[in-house]
Amino acid sequence: MRISVRRRGAETALEDFYQQGCLKARLPRIAPGDAREIVALNSSGGIAAGDDLAIAYTAGPDSRLILANQAAERCYRALPGAEPARLRNRITLAHGAEVEWLAQETILFDGAALDRRLEIAMAADARFLGVEMLIFGRAAMGETVRDLRLADTIRLVRDGRLVLHDAVRFDPTRHGTADRAFAGAATLAANRAMATILLAGGDSGAMLDPLRMKLAEIGAYGGASAWNGIMLARILAPDGATLRRNVTAALAVLRGDRALPRVWHC
Amino acid sequence: MTTPIPETALLRLLAWLSPAFPTGGFAYSQGIEWAVEAGSITDGASLHAWLADMLAAGSGFSDAVLLRLAHAAHDDPARLGAIAELAAACAPARERLAESENQGSAFVLALRAWALQDGPFPALPAKCAYPVAVGAACGAAGITADLACLGFLQAVTANLISAAVRLVPLGQSAGLAVLAALEEGIAATAAASRTAGEEDLGGFAFAADIAAMRHETQYTRLFRS
Repeated sequence: MRISVRRRGAETALEDFYQQGCLKARLPRIAPGDAREIVALNSSGGIAAGDDLAIAYTAGPDSRLILANQAAERCYRALPGAEPARLRNRITLAHGAEVEWLAQETILFDGAALDRRLEIAMAADARFLGVEMLIFGRAAMGETVRDLRLADTIRLVRDGRLVLHDAVRFDPTRHGTADRAFAGAATLAANRAMATILLAGGDSGAMLDPLRMKLAEIGAYGGASAWNGIMLARILAPDGATLRRNVTAALAVLRGDRALPRVWHC
Repeated sequence: MTTPIPETALLRLLAWLSPAFPTGGFAYSQGIEWAVEAGSITDGASLHAWLADMLAAGSGFSDAVLLRLAHAAHDDPARLGAIAELAAACAPARERLAESENQGSAFVLALRAWALQDGPFPALPAKCAYPVAVGAACGAAGITADLACLGFLQAVTANLISAAVRLVPLGQSAGLAVLAALEEGIAATAAASRTAGEEDLGGFAFAADIAAMRHETQYTRLFRS
């Protein structure tokens, strides 16, 4: 799928739109002057081994774009030895563009095999906010992830320079069973859900203290740091519901209390 | 430069990774200071578990991969520049980047003593992550990547143990027992990095990342990370 938007007057308008296969995009109705919202949906109902999905978003100069997905993404069991599902998301931000990547949870089932990349290329004066949530088995459903193959990378290039290469990797040949490895005090400390929040450009440094105060106020198990024009936060939680609540509180700080896309509330 | 005899290679490896080599490593704890404060590290067993995680799923493995990439590219300044940029981008928090780059720069500066007698050492960028500097220097000095990797992981681990010995506090012999018990983990991480490339960088030491982030606002601190 390929989508590009451009600024037209006060609005951000669709410029190029191409979709194929199980990936579709919806354009919810928005108020005049609001950022263009695009909701991606995977009509196959989940991610399975052998999937190979790529989406490229381009935000033109001074455009404002909010990207979300229709629902939590489910990543099902793959047969041993099967190729991992391959997902590639690329976002290009021209000067002055603002893009928010508000992905809902990715739920990993026992036996999941996922190879995912989020690549952001932004101009020096663009602003990017992104969130990714990984759920390692839903505790309430009695799911435990033992067998897992995971490569999940966020790569951010700003003004031509690689600023962040944040890579989650789990390789069973090296790390054994996931539930045991995730019990470690330095890994997930027995939590089952992890969020990464990334803010780049604009006010990223100024957001650090308010975000830290919010994380402390709500008692989230997390931390945040800012350097080289980016701010990175990580949050751990025992389950997806707690993680979502804490991430929602963190996003309210970073997005000035603007409402989250409607799909987040469905 | 001329290929040094193996004895020279060993002498250099020992000198460059010795705690006496002026990289300033004693000032950094990779967030262990916060982990101690938060009660995640309280004794030898919990220190061992934390460091084993760091080796297998945290900075240990990623630094080993970066060291090997730099070792292979020691005579290619453009490629070394790209690896240094990648290494910096792998840092999970501001203090962790400062820790790696300050030690890397100090390492490069201290190497001049050898460059004087043996021709120029690899052209490294002014700001260069520690494992990249060590990898490139060892590559240029004829020290094998396997030995450089083992030596680096051992030196970093020993340095973190000495930080924890002061912070917990632990007795010297308890700290040494942790180092002895981590031999297998160090060897396994060095071996796993042998066949790994840029695509394999990464891990899941999220709580260690959070410890490094939280250290930045820790009220009383002895260490700079």
